[in-house]
Amino acid sequence: MENSEIIDKILLVEDEANIVKLFEFNLKRAGYEVYSAMNGKEALEKVWEVKPELIISDIMMPEMDGFEFRREILKDEFLKTIPFVFLTAKGADEDILEGYDLDIQDYIIKTSSTKVVIAKVKAIVASYKKERDKVINEVQSAASNMIAAVVPTVAPYFEGYEIEHWHQTYQGIPGGDFIDYFELDEENMVVILGDVMGKKWGAYYFAIAYAGYIRSAVRFILQSSENFSPGEIIKKVNESVFRDERISEVYITLSVLLLKRDGTLKYSGAGDLPLFYKKEKVDFIKSDGILLGYFENSDYKDYELKLESGDEVYIMTDGIFEARNEEGVQLSVDGFTKIVENKNNENEMLDEIKKEFDVYTNKKYDDDISIIALKKT
Amino acid sequence: MNIIEEIIGDVLVEIINIDRATLNEADELKSALSIKMEEGYKNIIIDLSACDFIDSTFLGVLVNTLKKVAKVGGDLKLVGFRPAVRSMFELTRLFRVFDTYNELQAAIKSFQ
Repeated sequence: MENSEIIDKILLVEDEANIVKLFEFNLKRAGYEVYSAMNGKEALEKVWEVKPELIISDIMMPEMDGFEFRREILKDEFLKTIPFVFLTAKGADEDILEGYDLDIQDYIIKTSSTKVVIAKVKAIVASYKKERDKVINEVQSAASNMIAAVVPTVAPYFEGYEIEHWHQTYQGIPGGDFIDYFELDEENMVVILGDVMGKKWGAYYFAIAYAGYIRSAVRFILQSSENFSPGEIIKKVNESVFRDERISEVYITLSVLLLKRDGTLKYSGAGDLPLFYKKEKVDFIKSDGILLGYFENSDYKDYELKLESGDEVYIMTDGIFEARNEEGVQLSVDGFTKIVENKNNENEMLDEIKKEFDVYTNKKYDDDISIIALKKT
Repeated sequence: MNIIEEIIGDVLVEIINIDRATLNEADELKSALSIKMEEGYKNIIIDLSACDFIDSTFLGVLVNTLKKVAKVGGDLKLVGFRPAVRSMFELTRLFRVFDTYNELQAAIKSFQ
């Protein structure tokens, strides 16, 4: 335990000061971080802050007793997964039976020897962590097989443009960002950047679902129209998402670009961040579309730019603007604008931006980060 | 405790008492709201006066709750925007879907 990087946390719920002192001393000596609460009510206030690996709770306590506290914990999908142990003065059968009815892991008798208490705690925490790690490993393994469905390894070749993207996961775990490229024909390429609201695994699975929706919408537009419009693509995706109960509780920002070989760029967005373009100076377009899935009938306006050789365009997700420096100051739209302004145009588009971004954040990211850069050649 | 809950008449007020509301607070708020909404509360105020920053996960909980309470004839109103939070709502155009107030009292009054 002493060598592990993350210390396991225990929430001890007990009103008798002597018992708290004794358990705190022994558990801390065994390498655990111990948080204590005087009763169930106080523990409910602390449990979200601590997110412990184990809860040890007395039964008889003022204000909210152990049974009521346990029943409150069971109401929450996340909290009920935390192992729970009752602490009791004696092994009273009624207490034990009621406790097991409340789906607890075990009992600890207050007068048990330190060795027995620590052995029980270690076994329960180890078993919980083993199960949790197993699930994470399985999901991680499945995710690595599916990662290509969310972010392509490299940007495609499209004559007349240089296209690059940079995607950085949050704490090494896939998040809600997704990138897609769709070559409609020799003249037209669709570029898609989305961000599902959320972090880590939950958002990642929805990101895969959204990527699927968007591919379907693009195909639909392709079959039903000769005049391709990013706004129409977003409108179709929004209608599908709104109607689908399975993902109706998820919201997403989306930027869609349609590139034409002659340099025409059409752009539309839903709740997304501004599109930056660099001609002689840096400017941006703010789309006015509302995020996907909120209103059934939303319109998404197309914006058009005519790019000339050397012009650059950037679209990104919120991880860029929300990134903070050591003082906690966000990069913001202005900070990003300065980076793009000062960038040397001769270099690869994203190399300098990545370097500047890493210097600013000291490589500590708060969210997953995605940015797509295009240059007209 | 990062979220303080108050009941004023039939209005549920959740005060987000932390400067950065992110994944943890999003989970906590979602859990608190889900319990109260099951109890029948549909008029909700979220007080963001203490927040310097909210991330998209937290924002997702606000949007989702607004949609849910609107379906049953309720509303979710927001109070107190510091500059970075205001800018996030402006950038994502969410000002259009939420009713916003500078003061808690004004938001409570709007439900009466």
